[in-house]
Amino acid sequence: MKHQGKTSWTDGKARSIGLRYGLALISVAAAAGLARAFLHFHLPQPFTAFALSAIAVTFWYGGMKLGILAALLSIVVRGRFFEADTNTESRLLYDLVFLVFALLMTRVARTRNDLETRVAERTEELTRSNDNLRREIAERNHAEYLTSKVFDCSPDAVSIVGTDYRYKRVNPAYERVWRRPVESIVGMHLADLWGMQLFSNKLRPFLDRCFAGEDVSFADWIDGSLGHRYVAISYSPLRSSPQRVEGALVIGRDLTEYALESEALRQAQADLAHASRMTTMGELTASLAHEVNQPIAGAVTYASTCVRWLTRDDPDLGEARQAASEVVRNAKRASDIINRIRSISKKDESKRQLIDVNEVIREIVTLLHNEASRYSISIRTDLNANLPNVMADSVQVQQVMMNLIMNGIDAMKDVDRAREVTIRSQSGADHQLVISVSDAGVGLPSQQREQIFNAFFTTKSHGVGMGLRISRSIVESHGGRLWATDNSPQGATFYFTLPTKVANGG
Amino acid sequence: MRPDGESKFIAIVDDDGSMRSALQGLLKAVGLSSRAFESAEDFLRSGHQRETACLIADIRMPGMSGLELQARLNAERCRIPTIFITAHGDEEMRLQALRAGAVEFLPKPFDDEVLVESVRAALDR
Repeated sequence: MKHQGKTSWTDGKARSIGLRYGLALISVAAAAGLARAFLHFHLPQPFTAFALSAIAVTFWYGGMKLGILAALLSIVVRGRFFEADTNTESRLLYDLVFLVFALLMTRVARTRNDLETRVAERTEELTRSNDNLRREIAERNHAEYLTSKVFDCSPDAVSIVGTDYRYKRVNPAYERVWRRPVESIVGMHLADLWGMQLFSNKLRPFLDRCFAGEDVSFADWIDGSLGHRYVAISYSPLRSSPQRVEGALVIGRDLTEYALESEALRQAQADLAHASRMTTMGELTASLAHEVNQPIAGAVTYASTCVRWLTRDDPDLGEARQAASEVVRNAKRASDIINRIRSISKKDESKRQLIDVNEVIREIVTLLHNEASRYSISIRTDLNANLPNVMADSVQVQQVMMNLIMNGIDAMKDVDRAREVTIRSQSGADHQLVISVSDAGVGLPSQQREQIFNAFFTTKSHGVGMGLRISRSIVESHGGRLWATDNSPQGATFYFTLPTKVANGG
Repeated sequence: MRPDGESKFIAIVDDDGSMRSALQGLLKAVGLSSRAFESAEDFLRSGHQRETACLIADIRMPGMSGLELQARLNAERCRIPTIFITAHGDEEMRLQALRAGAVEFLPKPFDDEVLVESVRAALDR
């Protein structure tokens, strides 16, 4: 009777119980049969041995209850069929052997059951962990599949570049962008694809930093074999070990459309600022004309004077020379003013340079001096001589100053007391310059303090009301702030800051 | 030109420094002495009104204008022959100035010959 494992016994409980009882009987019967056979052949009668084997087998395969049954059966069989004539003591001794054996076997059977239970538990554990592992592997495979899908399906150009600046892998987006099969790109040197100049000037420095272990990126206009495009490209180091960078993961996106939109917007803002400047310049025409006229009239007078000194009977060359120099000086002054007007009127691209703010202020005061005189207003300056230069667009800063000073003049047109616009420049906290324009005019009620910076807000009878709004945009685009305060007891003060240190941009 | 030895001078009142210097240079070339003042107020404060033989003044200045100065002098019965030079002249202003007793009303830039003649005419009054 082969033991196939407990599972085979549980098929059909009744059948199994029947089989198990059958086992007990059959094993004892087999033992008895064997013993009889031995007897027949006059061999020493080993029923006990056979019976014990039968009991052991029954305990093992049938369980404790059946084992005990087999033991009892063996005792009975032995008593009936074998040595029926021996005395009670030896019979009892034999019975005792069986019983003791049976007891021992119960231990064995119990141990066996424990072992079986433990094996079952272990098997269950193993099955469970096997299932878990399998599930994990399936998940991981799925993740890898998805990841590889990322590489394949990404609309961005994703590639792996080796430290030899050649493409190791490129995703299908490259095919779309460069109109050539992926296989032809793999192995290519970056310079061959992008152009040597673009590669060595722009791409290589970033790749080198990436190979040194840095995560770097840039967004900029580039001119290469694809034309004039705005791209954002990131480089992430790929490591085989913590010390070694094997290559770079390069992800790039073409943002030309967005950049163009942004450029168009920026251009529109610049156009608006220019239009506002021109409106102001229009308002200033009479003053500016006068401002230019003064030095010209001066030059004419000096020139006439020079002629007089020379046409005398006794020409005075010294005086003539002096007069002539003055002609030159005045003519230059007129020319300067014209140039200043031209530069403010230009529509050019914003140019940022290191500028001396005080110089800019002085220039604009010269231009507006006459306008102020028209209304009997004086402009006073209190400028700190030790100001550092700032990186700014001088035309735009002049526009802001023009706006603030004109506002100051407007505020005082109908005022009786001392009409003075005061301009101050000083160093502020946090590496900032602070410039202020104060007037002694009608003042600024608190609810208007922010309102005045809104588009189309004006208290004047003329003008559109964009001046302060544009001025604030200009100041903020330089990294500064523009605000107004009430100047008790009279007038208002406008402050704006300009940073002297530019933060490091990417 | 009055050769009577009186230390009378020509007063120049203009807020533009270049114009003041240029006028003084011109007058020097024709042998006339002058004194320049930055503003009408400065001129009035100087107290030299009575010694002024001729006044050359700008019209538009911060503070008191040239026409206001003329009115003030008239009010003080200080009749100084005045020549106005201005970049802002219009016909109405010209008539107003002449009516108030100005000798001449010249636009800037002016013809130096015209100015010198006007000064001589003013001094001969």
